[in-house]
Amino acid sequence: MEQEREEEILSAIHHCVKCKLCSIANFHPNAEWLPLCPSGQYYGYQAFYAPGKMEIFRAILEGEITEPSEGLLNSVYACTVCGACYEKCKQITNVELGAPELFEEMRHELASKGWSLDVHKSIAEKIKETKNAYGERYEYKVKEGATDKNADVLYYIGCTARYRVPEIADAMLGIFDKLGLKYQVMDEEWCCGSVLFRTGQVEAAEKLIEHNVEEIRKSGAKTVVFTCPGCMKTFEKDYPDMGVELVHSTQFLTRLGNMNLKKEDLKAAYHDPCHLGRDLGIYEEPRAVLNEVADIKAMKREKEQAWCCGSGGGVKSAFDDFALWSATERLKEAKEAGAEALVSACPFCKRNLKEAAENEELEVYDVVELVNRCLEG
Amino acid sequence: MNETFSKLVKELQAIVGERNATDDRAICTSYSRDQHWHFVPAKNPACVVRPGTKEEVRSVLMLANTHKIPVIPYSTGINVRGLTIPVHDGSILLDLSRMNRILEINPEMKTATVEPGVTFGMLLEQTRKHKLRPAFPDAPLTVSVLANYYLRGIYQTSATDGHDHTISYEMILPNGETLKTGSRALSEMPYFRYGVGPDFAGMFGAHPGTCGVVTELTAKLYRLYDNRKEYFIGFDDVGTPTEFIYNLMHDELAASIRLVDNQSWLEGIFGTFDYAYEKLPKFVVCVLVEGVDGIFDAKDTLVRKYMNESGGQVLELPAEFARTFEDECLGGAEKSCMVFGLPGKGNYHCIGLYGPLTLAAKYYEVHEKTALEVGIPKDHIHFYIDPIYSFHGQLCYFELDVFYDGSDAGFGEKLRNYNEKQFHRLLDLGIYGWFRPYAGIIEPTAERIGYLAEVWKKFLHVLDPNEIMNRGKLF
Repeated sequence: MEQEREEEILSAIHHCVKCKLCSIANFHPNAEWLPLCPSGQYYGYQAFYAPGKMEIFRAILEGEITEPSEGLLNSVYACTVCGACYEKCKQITNVELGAPELFEEMRHELASKGWSLDVHKSIAEKIKETKNAYGERYEYKVKEGATDKNADVLYYIGCTARYRVPEIADAMLGIFDKLGLKYQVMDEEWCCGSVLFRTGQVEAAEKLIEHNVEEIRKSGAKTVVFTCPGCMKTFEKDYPDMGVELVHSTQFLTRLGNMNLKKEDLKAAYHDPCHLGRDLGIYEEPRAVLNEVADIKAMKREKEQAWCCGSGGGVKSAFDDFALWSATERLKEAKEAGAEALVSACPFCKRNLKEAAENEELEVYDVVELVNRCLEG
Repeated sequence: MNETFSKLVKELQAIVGERNATDDRAICTSYSRDQHWHFVPAKNPACVVRPGTKEEVRSVLMLANTHKIPVIPYSTGINVRGLTIPVHDGSILLDLSRMNRILEINPEMKTATVEPGVTFGMLLEQTRKHKLRPAFPDAPLTVSVLANYYLRGIYQTSATDGHDHTISYEMILPNGETLKTGSRALSEMPYFRYGVGPDFAGMFGAHPGTCGVVTELTAKLYRLYDNRKEYFIGFDDVGTPTEFIYNLMHDELAASIRLVDNQSWLEGIFGTFDYAYEKLPKFVVCVLVEGVDGIFDAKDTLVRKYMNESGGQVLELPAEFARTFEDECLGGAEKSCMVFGLPGKGNYHCIGLYGPLTLAAKYYEVHEKTALEVGIPKDHIHFYIDPIYSFHGQLCYFELDVFYDGSDAGFGEKLRNYNEKQFHRLLDLGIYGWFRPYAGIIEPTAERIGYLAEVWKKFLHVLDPNEIMNRGKLF
């Protein structure tokens, strides 16, 4: 790490006073104690809360920690990098660097020393071999003749919607078809690289970016639509400007105006995906779309202070028990709000929440699934 | 880590479970430093243990006592005075945050009994259902109720709560014996402080974990009133408002009275950086009146009378500022630590002390003088006063603050010089006592208290003959 950057990071770390207000949602005016940090809440040791992690980063930079112990790897990587801590912190401090930025940089520092988790290294290998994060060797098939190579809109599907929760991709394509909208998909869609950035393996993403940028430029599309906020965030923050508009599915649908949706008699809570909300600031459009198809039941922790579903930042692959515990906490909150369904706008959230809800009387959807269902076919 | 210690960690894991004891270097590092790191350097504990019950606490203490291993009790980990940073190698950090049960809220007795991991936020969430609240410190509501009351049972955000919120507690000693204070020693009713013999709650209190481990504590709760009114009055100096403060305190009129400077705590009290604070008078007295209908009206009338006679400027401020002030004083501080984020001065240093209101101007004078002498710029020098009921001795809490950039090592050096001079100067000027046993404060103080210091040491020796409890934090 360059000395100037190191000094900048150490300065930010020195300004954390360890008040730990970052670990709870706004207390006033309702005087409710609502934890915000899944990692700290689950593991308990100070090392798993933001202030403890910062102290560890300091010790790494100052050469006090020279070996990758189990506790080091767990405390650094068993964090969804959800950013809830920073949303709270920035309300009350002028801390110059956000915690997620620091923690991703800490992972990059660890990865540069070879201190990555084996499971994350294995994901990087899979991506290298198969160009998707799950190492799948088959292609997600789009109905033949449905796409239009000259369409202005390109749907970037993403690894998780292609290989783990295809019902989301199916629903989005269904919406395009039902509304008679022209769209295209990439001939050869490669992983966006999000998981590599989140797990500190930044350099491994270079070729992916190169490929995807080239494909999108060639496509002539003016708008790229994402159902995956993780992909969209990566395109927004880590890709060069391609001169195209990047929009989330819920933004795209909101712009369409009246879609003649048949509202269902369904009480639904909306779960803000971290990448969509805290990272991209998109809070209203998903709610506007969901409001067209269901009755929204508000949960206590929402928007900037939403509880993370538990699957991001490489946690789902490495710490599944923790990921499922976080999701279960969210399901409880949805039920307390009186919801019959928990609706998100992210394939990663849907996958983890759905898995946690296996034995629950609570349905889990992505918002595009409900829209597709409520569209007159 | 040597073989003997590895064996010890295994024994600790046998007590608290494998998941709850570790000597992992990174985990230990996360406990190595707090905000006071310019005064108490970073040091790792050798291991961290997280007991879940008082029996586990007892077993850990007895094991440590047998091997004469230092133990540092730690509640929720929001410490700004270096009191849970190890002094000696090979220390056990006893993280009590798993013990976070509210054991009882007794609305009839107006008490709450809590374990060490219960925070002010957790407690208020429950007590407000009974229209009751705890007395809050001027610390984030993430701090431990038990540790704060035990460490020093005097708080100031609400003047009307007075001091000594602790009623009784239970403490486990290094030899495994349990001590119960007040009526708790005699019966199942822990609701009276002075049960039998001396005031043991007082004697065992205010030691930073150097006697034993307090595993539960019963504290006073206070009423929440619906009628509230806030006033903000500006002054250009510290001396002028003292008569106004005296009148309010003498007639017991206000729930909260805080004199703060316009460039630090006021921003926290109002919960926003986004206001032209520099346009306000240099010092602002914030007053909160509360009470039941008739009493509230009578108090409010008198407060307004004194306010109009005070010689200060009654300030018209945005309505939301009043609400934040209420929350910060009577609902737990959530924004006050905004002061930690003052632009360009992101860290907080203070000397907190108790003294009479009559010395307010002198304390400010010596604060400014010493700070300037050691090279601290004038715009980093801040101050506040919170008077406390009952007002015998004109009791006030004073805070001599400096806000600074913690990444500036040179400033840290200035602060160390400031402390060294200031402790002596304040003792020369005359104080009632220190808020906390800060690093470097015990030595200059102990040499002035005569034989009491010897008795204090002997008292600690009786409770902890092997000196395992937070060794090095007092003597």
